[in-house]
Amino acid sequence: MEAYLAAIAAIALIYVLLSLGLTLHYGLTGLINFGHVGFFCIGAYAAAILSTTGGMPIVVGFVAAAVLAGLAAWPIGLVSLRLRDDYFAIVTLGFSETVRLVVTSERWLTNGVQGIPGIPRLFEGLGVGMPSALAILGVLLAVNAAAVWLFFRLVKSPFGRMIEAIRDNEEAVRALGKDPARFKIRVLMLGAALAGIAGAFYAHYIGYIVPDQFIPLVTFYVWMAIIMGGVGRISGAIVGSLLLMLFLEGSRFLRDVVPFISAVDMASVRIGAVGLALVLFTLYRPQGLMGDYTRR
Amino acid sequence: MTTMNRRTLLGGVGGALALTAVPVSVNAQAATFRIGALNPVTGAGSPYGSGMQKMILAAVEEVNAAGGAGGRRIEVFAEDSQTSPQAAVLAAKKLIEVNNVRAIVGTWSSGVSLAVVPLTNDANILLLNTSGAPALSVPPANAKGLSYRFQATNDRFGRAFAEIATREGFKRAATMAFNNASGIGNTNGFKRAWEAKGNRVVAEVVYEPNQPSYRAELQRVLAARPDVIVMGSFLPDTTIILREWFQSGENTRWIIPGWAANPQLIQALGAQVTEGIISVDSVSNERAPSFAHFDQVHRRAMNQPGASNVYAAMTWDMVITLALAMEAAGPNADMAAINAKMREVANPPGEEVYTFAAGKAALAAGRAINYQGASSVLDFDQFGDVTPDFGVFFITKGQLERRYVVSI
Repeated sequence: MEAYLAAIAAIALIYVLLSLGLTLHYGLTGLINFGHVGFFCIGAYAAAILSTTGGMPIVVGFVAAAVLAGLAAWPIGLVSLRLRDDYFAIVTLGFSETVRLVVTSERWLTNGVQGIPGIPRLFEGLGVGMPSALAILGVLLAVNAAAVWLFFRLVKSPFGRMIEAIRDNEEAVRALGKDPARFKIRVLMLGAALAGIAGAFYAHYIGYIVPDQFIPLVTFYVWMAIIMGGVGRISGAIVGSLLLMLFLEGSRFLRDVVPFISAVDMASVRIGAVGLALVLFTLYRPQGLMGDYTRR
Repeated sequence: MTTMNRRTLLGGVGGALALTAVPVSVNAQAATFRIGALNPVTGAGSPYGSGMQKMILAAVEEVNAAGGAGGRRIEVFAEDSQTSPQAAVLAAKKLIEVNNVRAIVGTWSSGVSLAVVPLTNDANILLLNTSGAPALSVPPANAKGLSYRFQATNDRFGRAFAEIATREGFKRAATMAFNNASGIGNTNGFKRAWEAKGNRVVAEVVYEPNQPSYRAELQRVLAARPDVIVMGSFLPDTTIILREWFQSGENTRWIIPGWAANPQLIQALGAQVTEGIISVDSVSNERAPSFAHFDQVHRRAMNQPGASNVYAAMTWDMVITLALAMEAAGPNADMAAINAKMREVANPPGEEVYTFAAGKAALAAGRAINYQGASSVLDFDQFGDVTPDFGVFFITKGQLERRYVVSI
């Protein structure tokens, strides 16, 4: 049981990292990013390639994941931040699909659709089982804590006030003589770098990646998490991700409490139950569990 | 607008947590042997997943009705892999850690199997899969020899295609592959075997999924004037490609895997377009009594003939083979002892048996057995792979007609 809970916690913490990045994009700055999985994918592949065929230490992979994902956000920012919000959403969605097609097609680098197997797992030296699982959780917690701390510092800084001003009234910011695009690009790169780190953790945790894992559904899981948690709040990103995991994994145990449903039908009932929970949640708590900071 | 405050919600969440903590008796009783059925009930594998899972349950029922295996009853814990590696990893962790299963049975896509195999290796339990990726045969995936593949690899399909192309006297072969592991595995396997026979592939195209038209790709292949086009494809894209080929009026023949060139394809395109297409499938061991028996059970559970779901035949065989290995290993054998018996009960030499009950009786009488499966004769090589026979079907007047069988 402990190892199962540890696995859920690890995946949940990876989603927290993704949600923090998206909170920075959407919750704080108002950028509708529908391509978050693209940065996640770049991070995962960077870490995987460097630690397998590249033969580099794992730490190098993590740094490269953050840097490459962040850099990938830069041109998108340049090209599209002058676009209106909804166009930005389409551009980012297109970006994430482009990333997926590139890793599918560039066989020499990514092994294409065959994927990259045998990515070294973190703390393999500690042996399998609880010691390494706890070590991984510890590192994930530390990285999450660092990200949260960085966020609080950011929100309280002049930079934080500026991006919130951009979210609330971009025209006013422009009238003050500030250039919103510059701030948006930096926010985009920072959130993307966080997603890249999440991708590196994911690659080293699952141990095998293929392009199929980086579909837009991942982006929308993250959106679900921040909407359930409360848009624009750091606590919302954390609570929302944990809640999403609770829905997805907790529903596995429905079988033990719901009678009259065969094991095979349970799989479909389970997905239905997750959907129902999400619908009810948005109906009765549309501002998210922690409240919507932006509408206060 | 809401009456629910944070506290009630937290309470609800806590309640949900408490529900998940309902004690699932972790201490397996000595008399039961637990297996996990991890199948693609939802997602891309959903056309096969529920049949696979139902056949696992049915086979276990049969084993238990025959008095269990090695003195133990088998108990199944069913999970959905959602055809997604991430969901499958969490489901496998749950099966291993919470339910204490000793084998995971029936993973389908290669992505899922490759993501789950490190977990089953760590836990020293069996993984019985139906995936095609070559990486599953060798270390690191199969470093401990605990993984068995009940499906032919895509590479073997490709080799069968080459045998057929030679036998039909084709000279100028071209390939078209759907851009995923399975599609490319087929055409690469074909290319290797075809070139080893001293032939040349005149054109190769890999195409992206979900296109409304494949005319550009088709033109590139047809420009090389092939006398046969070998496909690594699936039903939706094959339908479009064949329609556009027929409109082009070019003359060529086709070799297509059986999951794409099936009755639905003929229904979609009509007899005229599909005339003469060669469809290749790993034959379920159709003439064996074990298949007849499986077919009967499948019809009862799914209301469809057993031949409609080749993967369900594989999961059926997984349970029977595992149960026979348990029986051969004797009461209270550990996983290593059971694993050591897997090949012994499935491979020659030995008396050919077709059901668990017959195998159990033969073992009790002290005879060696060779289980002949419903999905294939089930002889595992050193990598834990099987090599089934391939049926060659010609589409004639809208009917799939089996002409011969190729062994590789």
